[in-house]
Amino acid sequence: MSAQPVERTSTPVLELRDLAVHFGGVRAVDGVSMKLMPGLIYGIIGPNGSGKSTLLGAITRLTRMTRGELLFDGASYAHVPPSRLARLRVARTFQMVRLLPDLNVRANIQIGADSRTTSDDRTGSRPSWFERLRGPAVSPAVVDAIRRTRLGGFESYYPSELSYGTQRRVEVARALAMDPRLLLLDEPTAGMNQSERAEISGLLRDLRDEGLTQLLVEHDVQMMMDTCDYVFAMNSGQLIAEGEPGEVVRNPAVQEAYLGRKWGRDA
Amino acid sequence: MMDFYDSNLVLIQATCTGLILALSIQVPLRMGVFSFAGAGSYGIGAYLAAILVIEQEVSAFVAIGAAMLATAVIGLLLGLLIFKLNGLYLAMATVAFDLIIGVITINGGETTGGSTGLYGVITDFTMGQMFALTVIVLALVALSEVGRTGRRVDAVRDDPELALSMGISLRRYRLTAFVVSGALGGLAGAMNVLVRSAIGPLDIGFGLIVLGLTMIIVGGSRSWKGAVIGAIIFTWLPDILTAIGEWQELVYGIIVALAAVFLPRGIYGVLVDLNKWLRRRRRERRDPPPAVAAEQAGDIDPKPGDVREFALNEETVP
Repeated sequence: MSAQPVERTSTPVLELRDLAVHFGGVRAVDGVSMKLMPGLIYGIIGPNGSGKSTLLGAITRLTRMTRGELLFDGASYAHVPPSRLARLRVARTFQMVRLLPDLNVRANIQIGADSRTTSDDRTGSRPSWFERLRGPAVSPAVVDAIRRTRLGGFESYYPSELSYGTQRRVEVARALAMDPRLLLLDEPTAGMNQSERAEISGLLRDLRDEGLTQLLVEHDVQMMMDTCDYVFAMNSGQLIAEGEPGEVVRNPAVQEAYLGRKWGRDA
Repeated sequence: MMDFYDSNLVLIQATCTGLILALSIQVPLRMGVFSFAGAGSYGIGAYLAAILVIEQEVSAFVAIGAAMLATAVIGLLLGLLIFKLNGLYLAMATVAFDLIIGVITINGGETTGGSTGLYGVITDFTMGQMFALTVIVLALVALSEVGRTGRRVDAVRDDPELALSMGISLRRYRLTAFVVSGALGGLAGAMNVLVRSAIGPLDIGFGLIVLGLTMIIVGGSRSWKGAVIGAIIFTWLPDILTAIGEWQELVYGIIVALAAVFLPRGIYGVLVDLNKWLRRRRRERRDPPPAVAAEQAGDIDPKPGDVREFALNEETVP
């Protein structure tokens, strides 16, 4: 396994130590350790059922972990309720698109920005109870997220009126509206065509250049090669390889996990 | 106009109390909390207001305030006890709470008047005050359906896991649902006893759950406007159906059953869907979807049947 591209003295944004999630006898995640340094795009690849999404669930505290330690900026958050993670500015998208059906695109994205008005002290003044109840109709963060994900023109559409790929974009925009420090993306390009994938990949690289740390779970190996700075490969709940994307993809253990023993050896 | 008002005063009063009772069940349902505790709070509020007026001779507003405060606190305590339950289990627990309140009123001795209840609850409570309270409640509930709070309530109901990811505390919202439901139920019960001057065990109980639930199922469960529609229909319908005599209950039941089957989102839900459809048609006539505009400009080649696919060309973005 190669060292991370930039071994830094700075504190990792996210660090997992010996993280395990067991469901009865099933070891969905089993002793995973990783460090995510600031301003890089990390990827997790692995076949179906390898524990990628469960790992994201544990990182966001939505899935109860069996053992291990979670650190954000060097401080443990293993006992922080999941609703408090927005205060740490951790945003995520889900494996299946999760948009609120009764809200239009603008409102679905605004709900991400809403988390900033209470959880974020950077605004300086504390809003009144009425302002908190009512909230802004459209935050500047929403306008920016719509522009970045190129959803202009779709603001008044409802999720049921959108294609799957566009719904995915709305999810990404909602996460961006939270102004995250760590962005966790679970298969963000599923259902998108090749051009859209390339565009999302470009957006993620732009965000990386602005200093946003990202962890990407994706099946599309080419997308991972094009986008990620560093890749972890998982199988049966464990890390089986890590390193630069090309190096990990060529790793025999990774090929075997994806293609099976015979095809993996021959590849 | 005044003739109509005078001859239908009881029905108008019943519409106001029925509406607030319906809201006491609708507010928690909007937050995904299947609680019918509002019906029990209605009983507590009615009896408490009656006791305070008869025993302590307090004014109507003191009686109403005390009833709302007590039922809000009881709602909070009940919520702390059962808010982790979900779905049918939660519904059954709150129905049990309602039934317990009924049993207490029957066995409360002189305090609750036993099976005959309490009479002579006479105050200076006026119809104008009742209207004003109803309008204030409607305004507050309407405020909770829009803006940031409305979005968050939608998230808590439709996708609790997403809500958590957006920094929304499910515990806080669920407990709020119990408190608000309790206060609204208490208000409805107190107002009812103050205008009718009597309350008995037959006025509370399971029938209230059925009435409140019917109002919001038929009217619409996602908005106060649905509760208003339901309250008007199911307060006035039985009076209208008296013309058909013994067939009244059968026709009433058929109307409820048909509404439940053919209007799953209630009458207001149908109006909302219709409005969405009309807006979509108007929008598509005025501005073709971005992908369609791009296609017309020859910029992209969308997949068949996928006319709203994302526009790839920056020029298509308004």
